[in-house]
Amino acid sequence: MSLHLPVLIVVLLLAASYTVPLLDRYRRGLTLPVTILSLITAFISSLYLLYLIGVQGPFVYHLGGWPPPWGIELYIDYLAVYMLIVISSIGLLVIIYGAKDLLHEINEEVLSWYYTLYLLLMASMIGIALTNDLFNLFVFVEISAIASCGIISAKADRRCIEASIKYLILSALGSGCILLAVAMIYMITGNLNFDYVAAALPEALKLYPYNIVIALGLFVVGFGVKSALFPLHVWLPDAHSSAPSPSSAVLSGLVIKIYAVALVKLLFRVFPPQIFEAIPILDVILFLSVFAVMAGSIFAMVQDDLKRMLAYSSIAQIGYIFMGIGLFGGRALTGGLLHIFNHAMMKSMLFLAAGLIIYATGIRNLKDLKGIGVRMPWTMGAFAVGAFSMVGIPGTSGFISKWFLALGALDLNRPFYVAIILLSSLLNGIYYFPIIIDAFFGTKVDPVSEFRDVPALMLIPVLILAAGVIFFGFYPKPLLDLVNKAISF
Amino acid sequence: MEVITKLLNNYYYFAAMILFVIGFHTMLTHSNLIKKIIGMNIMDTSIFLFFVSIGYVRGGRAPIIQEGAGYLYVNPLPSALILTGIVVAVSVTAYALSLIVKLYAHYGTMDADEIAIIRAREER
Repeated sequence: MSLHLPVLIVVLLLAASYTVPLLDRYRRGLTLPVTILSLITAFISSLYLLYLIGVQGPFVYHLGGWPPPWGIELYIDYLAVYMLIVISSIGLLVIIYGAKDLLHEINEEVLSWYYTLYLLLMASMIGIALTNDLFNLFVFVEISAIASCGIISAKADRRCIEASIKYLILSALGSGCILLAVAMIYMITGNLNFDYVAAALPEALKLYPYNIVIALGLFVVGFGVKSALFPLHVWLPDAHSSAPSPSSAVLSGLVIKIYAVALVKLLFRVFPPQIFEAIPILDVILFLSVFAVMAGSIFAMVQDDLKRMLAYSSIAQIGYIFMGIGLFGGRALTGGLLHIFNHAMMKSMLFLAAGLIIYATGIRNLKDLKGIGVRMPWTMGAFAVGAFSMVGIPGTSGFISKWFLALGALDLNRPFYVAIILLSSLLNGIYYFPIIIDAFFGTKVDPVSEFRDVPALMLIPVLILAAGVIFFGFYPKPLLDLVNKAISF
Repeated sequence: MEVITKLLNNYYYFAAMILFVIGFHTMLTHSNLIKKIIGMNIMDTSIFLFFVSIGYVRGGRAPIIQEGAGYLYVNPLPSALILTGIVVAVSVTAYALSLIVKLYAHYGTMDADEIAIIRAREER
């Protein structure tokens, strides 16, 4: 039974996503419980998979009992399980928050369709984390592209529609690049399974070097567009700021990172190490990540809109993850992968807190937030924790990942990148601290006339995430152990 | 000369790449959203062409195996994969077109530049 568990997680979420519209027609009250229940099951199954690979080590699952090279293979290693836990835990908390928040952000008729898309997105991300097959990877990438555009355009607002078509076109561009890269790889190796391709590539590199180099470039561009690596980030600010708050939280917190993880899997498990000597692809990624870290922060500073500022901050933070990939070889990749979980926690918390502020007062402009901390102490308290973690104050989880990135840069004798990390942390401080200072100590210029009480159900996920940021800031050992096992390729 | 011979021998790869670049260029540079979607379809189709031509064996037949006949068969796997690819491309196109319809209802234009101008005017 336990052997079928990996595929059952994906199947369960897919089945739930197709059941929800049916339930919507006959038993509308059941749509939300089904959504939440399936995500809880996914979370528990991920924890069980973690226990299982702790006992018996990483294992493979053959879909339909067909072994590779004929069938699709799922590979359950620490990296996959780590992503499974990140996705299912954050996804669960966000949808619990969304249960109340979505009622006022999107039309009631499309509410259960939103749950459908949300579950599809979760299933496809889990699929990307688990799969060991190039074409299967492409299919899951496309599902998640459509689903993530869908949860933006679910809000019948013209800004959302405009943002989602921009996102859809650029992400179709990325998918095209990925599919062409898959074709290039298939052309010379005759296989789609990661392990078979990895076995065939060192030999093929001598015969057809251009194919492999082009495929590598296309993979980096394709996944770079989708995960908003700096010069390819143009779709992100619109998409993440105009979407409903739960969508923003999930898109910024999870979706952009799963593509980075897919790239990690391809770069270090499929492509032979010799290719990094042939072309300096890691240096290119590193170079772009430095720009991402600086430019994201600088753009964020000049924004007036709270959610738009958070969206630009995501561009900077994805830069740290790519910096971890670019500084491969030391402890930096630990920091980069750790930052996936840390940033997922803090950015989804910040977006949810921003959503709470918008829910309660309708304020989006940063200048109007003066004195809001007195009105909403818990929300702004959580926001402050998230902001501290973004800056990297010790005692928050953001510090740990930046610490390991810096250690990794020193491992490779590249102190320049330590300076970059420090500088960008200061830049983060420049735009996060004024908000907190204004919120708690600012004199209220304009008393907020409209004020809605925040339901406890919306506040609890935010507080859980804030507690998580502090907990993993003081006690990162379980996460570090997991990540260190995940990167032993 | 050698390059030209190689290109002529593999003209289907060459054609696929040219189509890919045309689609890519259309998608990025045209401001009309419908043209962008057409560009996307050209790009996707070029990849399908590329993928299918990988599996082609000169003189091969459809892979319906007849025992002892000794025919040459084409590789069926790329064609099977591309069926999935076509389905994905169709659904993305349908979704994109439906978004464009909604956008047209809101702005009265399908041109991305004009929409940007309208929005800038309203924000001022």
